Amino acid sequence: MTDEGRIRLTIIGGFLGSGKTTWLRHQLFSGNFGNAQIIVNEAAGTPVDDALLETGRDVITLAGGCVCCNGINPFLSCLLEICDRRSATPDPDERTSQIVLETSGLAEPFNIIAAIKAHPVLCRQIVVSEVIVIVDALNAPALLGEHALSRSQIEAADRLVLTRTDAVTLGDMSRLHKTLLGLAPTALISAASFGSPVPMPEVIAGAERLTLSSLPNAGVADIKPVQLDLGDAPDWTALTLWLSALLHARGDKIVRAKGVVQTPAGRLLVQSVRRLVQSPEILPAQDTRVVTDNVIVLIGSDLTEDNIAASFAKLTG
Amino acid sequence: MCASCGFPAAPGHWTEAGAATAHDRLRERFRRVQLLQTMVSPLGIKVHDGGLVPGIQVTGPGGGSSIVPDLEQVWIEVERLSGKPFDPLA
Repeated sequence: MTDEGRIRLTIIGGFLGSGKTTWLRHQLFSGNFGNAQIIVNEAAGTPVDDALLETGRDVITLAGGCVCCNGINPFLSCLLEICDRRSATPDPDERTSQIVLETSGLAEPFNIIAAIKAHPVLCRQIVVSEVIVIVDALNAPALLGEHALSRSQIEAADRLVLTRTDAVTLGDMSRLHKTLLGLAPTALISAASFGSPVPMPEVIAGAERLTLSSLPNAGVADIKPVQLDLGDAPDWTALTLWLSALLHARGDKIVRAKGVVQTPAGRLLVQSVRRLVQSPEILPAQDTRVVTDNVIVLIGSDLTEDNIAASFAKLTG
Repeated sequence: MCASCGFPAAPGHWTEAGAATAHDRLRERFRRVQLLQTMVSPLGIKVHDGGLVPGIQVTGPGGGSSIVPDLEQVWIEVERLSGKPFDPLA
């Protein structure tokens, strides 16, 4: 399943003050995101970010409530309005094809994806294409230690953009990098300074992970990735059936599942955040088998590779 | 919307993405329910998907049955009928 004519939604997340607006402003300035509809959400009643964006384009501001929780209804009606306007546009080239949402610093991206998936109309109109999370390299170690939210934001990310990398020492940077990889092993990590991409600092190979204390609602300490190898000819039916049972039973412990599976319909990117599986995306075909194909990575606690392999083998016999 | 059961035709459950054609999709549907049967047989539960109406029929050991729209609901129904959590890793 691809976007099937649905509008692609990019969610930009990150903790308060991590540099989301700065990053987005630069992306708009340099013409990324094309003519996407921009939505800016702020938890506070008085919006500031939309003024900072200064793009001269039509930016929708949703203030006075976070779109992942108490502000979800205004957000959903705003999306419905965009969908309505799109269906009323006769010229296909002028229709909105992408929405970029800048969340408030307190938003949990997972809740936004879940709300769209659960909405009877929006689930047919909008597909979440990417979750980009901005991480302030200077303050992240302290935030990760104190706030479960900053951890779950990173766990939900497809792409992590590190800011203020020039303000930290190489040692701290390497430890943070290792920690982020532990929280989001499949995310692409890059660095940016005032929005423009900068080369990622060379990290020291043997750096230690930051020790993150356990917080209520966040058993981050023992979260680790395990892999399930599906072999050369993966059984899509068995895999999806098994994965759906697994996520139902262990969705609170498996924070992420991700993998590329070769099927008769093409190479499918399967990914989930907690219990929620996103519509698999068809990736372009490759001439040769990509090594990371037909491997599902599960990130969570209480998982061992032997255990999941044995459980899956029971089904495929 | 299916006139018999009232479930709206979903935009395509994520598990259906592996099928390239409508034929494949139907074949997969039959195979899925076959495999599902092997998973829930030890609990005395029967599952059935006739391929015509959307949804999967789940019948408990006592004979009570219901039609659920997708796999996520199947697991919930299986747990309700068997009275215990269903965990594939257990």
